[in-house]
Amino acid sequence: MIVLGIESSAHTFGVGIVDNGKVIANEKEMYKITDKGIVPSRVADFHMGNAAKVIRRTLHAAGLGIKDIEGIGYTMGPGIGTCLNVGMLAAKALAYFLKVPIVPVNHAVAHIEIAKKFANMQDPIALYVSGGNSQILKLYKSEHGRGAGRYRVLGETFDIGVGNMLDSFARNAGLNPAWGSTVAEKAKKGKFVPLPYTVKGMDFTFTGLLTHSIKLIGKVLIEDLCYSLQETAFAMLCEATERALLLTNSHELCVCGGVAQSERLKAMLSEMAREHRVKFGFAPNEFNADNGAMIAYVAERMLENGVKCSIDSCTIKQRYRIDSAEVY
Amino acid sequence: MRKIGEGAEAKIYLTSIFGNIVLVKVRFRKKYRERALDESLRRSRTKQEAHAMIIARRAGVSVPVVIAFDKFSIYMQRLEGRLLREVLSDTNANLPYAVFVELGRELAKMHNANIAHGDFTPANIILNNNSHAFIIDFGLSEITSSMEAKALDLLLMKRSITSEQYSAFLQGYAAYSKSKEVLARLNEIEKRGRYQTRTLITS
Repeated sequence: MIVLGIESSAHTFGVGIVDNGKVIANEKEMYKITDKGIVPSRVADFHMGNAAKVIRRTLHAAGLGIKDIEGIGYTMGPGIGTCLNVGMLAAKALAYFLKVPIVPVNHAVAHIEIAKKFANMQDPIALYVSGGNSQILKLYKSEHGRGAGRYRVLGETFDIGVGNMLDSFARNAGLNPAWGSTVAEKAKKGKFVPLPYTVKGMDFTFTGLLTHSIKLIGKVLIEDLCYSLQETAFAMLCEATERALLLTNSHELCVCGGVAQSERLKAMLSEMAREHRVKFGFAPNEFNADNGAMIAYVAERMLENGVKCSIDSCTIKQRYRIDSAEVY
Repeated sequence: MRKIGEGAEAKIYLTSIFGNIVLVKVRFRKKYRERALDESLRRSRTKQEAHAMIIARRAGVSVPVVIAFDKFSIYMQRLEGRLLREVLSDTNANLPYAVFVELGRELAKMHNANIAHGDFTPANIILNNNSHAFIIDFGLSEITSSMEAKALDLLLMKRSITSEQYSAFLQGYAAYSKSKEVLARLNEIEKRGRYQTRTLITS
């Protein structure tokens, strides 16, 4: 079945098309972050202006006409309300116009499922790291649900996501562009200085690390600060993930979400997995950043498993916890 | 030295000192971690764990005796018995409630000495042949007066045993002078939105 997916939970308006589990097009437009970070109303305006354009471009890339689409998926949440609304409206309009079924998708589930597909894994521990989220998850069979089960949160951040932490630091340090990737670039020439390290079992916190690092701006070389911030934050994630692997006796580990684009994080996780003889995998970067293809991928599976949702009952849910989403 | 166990951050060996068999917990190097960070974490955690065990022992809590410790290893008394986790999963074992009352008293003594265990589950409790409970693995422990940390100890145990066993446990825990405050905090933690859907998964 040919399914089109729309993602608009944060700064990216993404559209993807999947046919029988295979991604055939994946296009996106990203809001340029300024020193003010993500301003919800402006990002929503940005998505409004780009929605039709990105949908058209995706169809063109796939070599399909609009009438070829057999189903629609969109991000229900978690995300920024104003942004989610734009994606939902576009999806509803298409479903109404084409008279095809529509399903709402959990953003976090989509990130993990697309990573599992590319890493060729059945039952991994998933480390989901992005701007807004940092969680360690595993799929467990539901007792009553109709699907394959639900993800359970084994560990997570108690405050902000690791991506948000890196970006906030970059903005405060005046780095340009203010992204985690700029921090990574600076980190290449850095030396280690001790910073706060907080792991509680399989949970962790990042605000203490962020505040302390911001206070050191100007007192410590920016390269050293970037290096130490990144090493400390990623070591925390690795330690918590390692504990989850051993606790659940898992043999597979995948990393997904925007921060999974970090080469250093992947190298650390890979080393840790090797020590425990655990298979490690991830999706190509294009599918780690927010994208429409992952939404289409999950939507197709939901539609094929008979999930139905009338256009009127389709909504958004800003705090859509992953453990309340049925996985198909 | 013979390896008898391995966790996420340490390996456990048996060795002999002056002809006595003792247990050694060694925090080994994590290659994925920045070297300076790795050393400082292993060193401070080893020291912290040994100190917590020594303080708990002095406060009369049943914990293994610390014989010695250095940068990355702790040498301690080896205990004979079964993990409470195994005993609980063994349906034939009829565990008297008195065991849980006693366990509650042990935690009361520990909290009175301002030690929060950090991983207070049946996987970290050993019952000897007389059903006397010993608390092991202070790897995540903290020396703190924080009500939050103490309440988390209760939370982990509460989720791991039956409600009857837990009420017996609370009878013993009432020996701690601030037990009411800790229970009030536990109530608060359980109400926090984020955790209402979260299932604690314990080994």
